[in-house]
Amino acid sequence: MISETFPTETEVQGYRLDDFLTLAAQNNPTIRQARLQISAQTAKALQAGLYPNPTLNYIGEQIGVDVEGDKDSPGEFQGMTVSQRFVTAGKLKLSREKYMRRAHISEHLAMAQQFRVCNDVRIHFFRALAAREIVELRKELLKTAEDGAVTARELYNQGQATRPQVRKSSIALQRARLDVLSAENHYRESFRRLVAIVGVDLTDGVVSGELMPQGEPLSYQEAMSLVLTESPELAAARAKLAADRVTVRREQVEWVPDIVAEGGAGYNFEAKETTAAAGVSIELPVFDRNQGTIRQAQLDYRRQQEEIRRTELMLQQQMANVYQQYLTALQIATEYDRVIIPEAELAYQELLESYKANRVDWPTVLDAQMDYFDSRLTRVQHLEQVRTNEVLVRGYLLHGGLMAAPGPTPPGHIDAVAKPR
Amino acid sequence: MPSPEDRRKFLKVGSFAAATGFVGNLLGRDANAQEPMQHSGMKQHDNMPQPIGNASARPEIPASSEVAAEYEGFSRFKPSRGLDPDSDYYIGKLVPGFRKASDGPAPFEAPDIPTLPYKMDNGVKVFELVPMAVQQEFHPGVKMNVYGYNGSMPGPTIEVTQGDRVRIVVTNELPEDTFVHWHGFELPVQYDGAATLTQNPIKPGKTKVFEFDIHEEGTFFYHSHVAMQEAFGQVGWFIVHPKRVFDPPVDRDFGLLFQNFHIPPTHTISDSWSMDWNWHTINGKSGPYTTPLVCKHGERVRVRLLNFAPMQHHPIHLHGHTFWVTSHEGARIPKSAWVPRNNELVGVAQASSFEFIANNPGDWIFHCHMIHHMMNHMVKQVGPRMRDDASVDQYLANLSSRPQVDASRSDKFATPGYPQKMQGMEMSEDFMNAIWSRKEVRGMRANYAMSVKGLMTVLRVLPDDLYELVMNSDQPVEKGAVFAEIVRRFGDPGKYEAAPRMMM
Repeated sequence: MISETFPTETEVQGYRLDDFLTLAAQNNPTIRQARLQISAQTAKALQAGLYPNPTLNYIGEQIGVDVEGDKDSPGEFQGMTVSQRFVTAGKLKLSREKYMRRAHISEHLAMAQQFRVCNDVRIHFFRALAAREIVELRKELLKTAEDGAVTARELYNQGQATRPQVRKSSIALQRARLDVLSAENHYRESFRRLVAIVGVDLTDGVVSGELMPQGEPLSYQEAMSLVLTESPELAAARAKLAADRVTVRREQVEWVPDIVAEGGAGYNFEAKETTAAAGVSIELPVFDRNQGTIRQAQLDYRRQQEEIRRTELMLQQQMANVYQQYLTALQIATEYDRVIIPEAELAYQELLESYKANRVDWPTVLDAQMDYFDSRLTRVQHLEQVRTNEVLVRGYLLHGGLMAAPGPTPPGHIDAVAKPR
Repeated sequence: MPSPEDRRKFLKVGSFAAATGFVGNLLGRDANAQEPMQHSGMKQHDNMPQPIGNASARPEIPASSEVAAEYEGFSRFKPSRGLDPDSDYYIGKLVPGFRKASDGPAPFEAPDIPTLPYKMDNGVKVFELVPMAVQQEFHPGVKMNVYGYNGSMPGPTIEVTQGDRVRIVVTNELPEDTFVHWHGFELPVQYDGAATLTQNPIKPGKTKVFEFDIHEEGTFFYHSHVAMQEAFGQVGWFIVHPKRVFDPPVDRDFGLLFQNFHIPPTHTISDSWSMDWNWHTINGKSGPYTTPLVCKHGERVRVRLLNFAPMQHHPIHLHGHTFWVTSHEGARIPKSAWVPRNNELVGVAQASSFEFIANNPGDWIFHCHMIHHMMNHMVKQVGPRMRDDASVDQYLANLSSRPQVDASRSDKFATPGYPQKMQGMEMSEDFMNAIWSRKEVRGMRANYAMSVKGLMTVLRVLPDDLYELVMNSDQPVEKGAVFAEIVRRFGDPGKYEAAPRMMM
């Protein structure tokens, strides 16, 4: 059979969950991305609050005008002025506040990203752990299938099994071998996926830990209250609302005209003396008082209010599904742990003792053995579900640790211009 | 023939002689008796235990008897046929026991089954019978849940004499209705016990009184007339001794009651609905826990054998002897119709009586010849017990990870059909201790328990001194010593191989 070498406990390094979490915190690129998003926003806030620079103007007016004694004078006025825009109504402060608030959103989103990564590490760790245990159980089931094949040959030699029954046992044996191979492959896949999230190159290794969760299970109310009060996504949505509130305020002052003052000195070639120039300009908000944008910002604000609600409901919907899977798997795994596996083990033990006392035949013992190992396999499969969903329930339903960390606004937004407002 | 006084003298000194091994020719020889072999100059076989008992003693005929050692060529002390098939003594047919007819019937002896006591009330024998659920120990420590009577399964033996009037007070301690049928009796119909045809059920906790005269003689039995209760074990002997002791009188009157049960592995409750039967009992015990029948060399022995299996007949075979079938449960067969046999088919609910002269000393197996009845449950002979270097204990040591199976097979598997002999059977130390705790098995070969299974028991025919040693003395007896002594006296000791001692 084609197969890769499968690592054993003694050959390679063993890793625990904490090892992977530490490595991921240091090496997962999306966590760094998320942190950079915060810096980008604070940079934007810096930019948005910068006062406008003064403008130096050279002015040459009516160049070539005839004046007394000079037919083509350099002009009536040649000089330099400096103009300065005086920003009114605290526009710059509001703009900076608005982007600082967006940086705050990014902080929540970075937190969310950290959860995404850690949750994914946990989920893939437990998947790898389960896969590892499944490999061991598949190997036990393989030994049982080997025994089944030997038993069939023994029965055949005593006229108690037919040739097709012997062939059937060979089929069962080969299937058990394939099950071991596919379990080993699945373990490798799980381990490699885990390593990919962590963000470092690790060779094959083994994971070690406990699949059965410790401590009391969470009730639905607890799980829901946890996610509604602590979800970073929800916090980001609320922070976005605060930013939108500032946006409204910012837009509300936009119409307040800035005062642009200009002054300077030059030489008046007509009067043949140095003169000064001064000017003040102000935009008259006759037609455009920024009404549309204010309205848009207000609507955006209201839209964000609904976004918070939408996020809550979306989390509820996801929780309904995840919690159901968590609860079902936990119920099944617990009962397998509490009743089914001990019973299967006792049945196997009693039949072994019965076989020893010459009361029951070996194929019946083998059936019980298979039931026992198969029950343990089912337990592990359900514990994997328990752990996966428990991580989501406790980790605010966040997953996807290799998706790019989102910013407070979609990438390529118009806000990327040099002077954001 | 030596005088009766000499014999009694011998019996008194016998135990001393056995202990010291210093026994001279105290008595003269009886020419008719089988002469014990003299082995004084014989080299002691390595496997042969030290001699026990009185090696030079000959078979004893009690002084009070008027019987002979030989009848028309038939010897009561050695395997023989007699000279004429038409002779009354052919194969010991009418050779009397040592016991006189005037001493009354030989006591009925059904090993492991108690006798039901009675009180006399104005000439009526009053028995109290209690149908109830009981636990019966089929094997040492293996207690099965069945129904029986008065704490016993099979029920205790009711023993009366032809002409008695009996009153049987039945108090039902089962949690359900029952009926008791007196199988074979020609009694007034109202007491027949046939469910609802002749009477109302005996309700739980209630009592019903049966009273009738007994004009029959023979082997009868009582049983519940609820089919499933019968299959669940509710049966007991009802022995009626004839008013006039049958001729020829017997020295031993043994009873063997055969039953079948289906009790799944790891279980103790019998499945009375089963069409299959995996536990076989004689007097409530399965071989090798069945108690051997022990008699003295030369005695006339009767064995009454009742087959109360739910649905399986039993061909019963006794080794070493040819027996006469002298009666069935209905009545004693006229002598002209007696049949000599080695094997007799006993059908369901039939009782047959076998009579023979125990003229061949030894431990003789007495068993149903259906091979599936020669063990307690047929299990497929595969798995660790027949695999080299594998044992169930390895599996029990670690339940969570089973040992690797070795798929290679020895050359033995080149023989189609291998193995046919049950291999790797295990019996625990407690089991063996219980098997060997009974006096009836003392001195049997060390591994006898490996061969006595299911519907099997042993008839031990012992010379007087060995009978006394086994049954009536407290002397320690080495395993195999009695058997070896019999071989020494009656067999070919030079070629004897003792049993391996692993099954102690």
